[in-house]
Amino acid sequence: MTDQGQFGERDHEPLGADDILSQAIEQCRDEMPAQDLWPAVSARLEIKSAPRRSQISLTLPQLALAASLLMAVASGLTWLASRQPLAPAEAQPMVVAQGESAGEVEGGIVNANFADAQFNAAVIDLEQILRDERDRLDPRTVLVIERNLKTIDLAIQEARMALNDDPANAYLNSHLADARRRKLDLLRHATTLASAGGN
Amino acid sequence: MDDVALATEGDAAAFERVYRAHMPRIFNLARRMAGPDAADELTQDVFVRAWQKLALFRGESSFSTWLHRLAVNVIIERFRTLGTARERFLADSEAVLEIAHARRTKHLDLSMDLQVAIEQLPHGARTVFVLHDVEGYKHAEIGDILGVSAGTSKSQLHRARQTLRGLLRKEV
Repeated sequence: MTDQGQFGERDHEPLGADDILSQAIEQCRDEMPAQDLWPAVSARLEIKSAPRRSQISLTLPQLALAASLLMAVASGLTWLASRQPLAPAEAQPMVVAQGESAGEVEGGIVNANFADAQFNAAVIDLEQILRDERDRLDPRTVLVIERNLKTIDLAIQEARMALNDDPANAYLNSHLADARRRKLDLLRHATTLASAGGN
Repeated sequence: MDDVALATEGDAAAFERVYRAHMPRIFNLARRMAGPDAADELTQDVFVRAWQKLALFRGESSFSTWLHRLAVNVIIERFRTLGTARERFLADSEAVLEIAHARRTKHLDLSMDLQVAIEQLPHGARTVFVLHDVEGYKHAEIGDILGVSAGTSKSQLHRARQTLRGLLRKEV
């Protein structure tokens, strides 16, 4: 009997256990390459790494620009707010920054001290990561980050001082929440940058 | 975070661990489909392509399944680049037997294992046999990968099996 006759039209279905092909496949041995292929693979992966570094480096001027703008806007508006409190009719509804929704609400106004513990804990964690990883960053990058952090800290400090005199001021509360968010964003950017080892 | 996720974010060290874990299966797939001479280079190609495409891995299937499918596509692309057109290896169903018998008279007087027998098959029949009988793909999946009907895959498998059985019995 020919193979065609023996296996017939159904010879495209799973092999039977007694088929010589099944037995051959079962005995088929896996092999390993004669040499380690990883070095050759790794060398070709570097082509992809370059764009990642360039993408990271683009964030530095953005960080510097954002911090400069923040410094100018924060200082100016804090000064205005502390001297010209909004009339009750002009007060705007409070906008709570993302991630800081656990605030204490008093008569529709979110107190500036809300979520202090959360904010401080996050800042401490990120600052610790940044301290641990800062050696991986270019010193110029560290300088820019530290300068920007100081700027934001100054804005936060000014907002808090102004709020001591006018705790219910909607603008000041919003401004403080915004400054905190910016600080967290900057720290997150910086730690991501450091973790990537980019400069 | 697992190594695949880390590699997706550009962590080359994590990707090396992924490579070490999956390389044996990919290397042997390449060896069976394309032969030992091409296996090293194809394995490299597969992992370079995987690195480039990692962002497209959504976790809908297991990473192993995703990588295996990607490897099959890389190997088939190579066949086509080498001029093994789909029309050639899947339209002429008799070619499998003719080519294999012609080679048998020259080469198969020595002991032969399945791997050597598989290497006697044309690329198309070899692909269908390896994917279906060794790797466990279904005809519909093979048809999808090769861009042919499931019926064509069945026909090729039938003829590839006939040829291989003949070659293995000759050895016995």
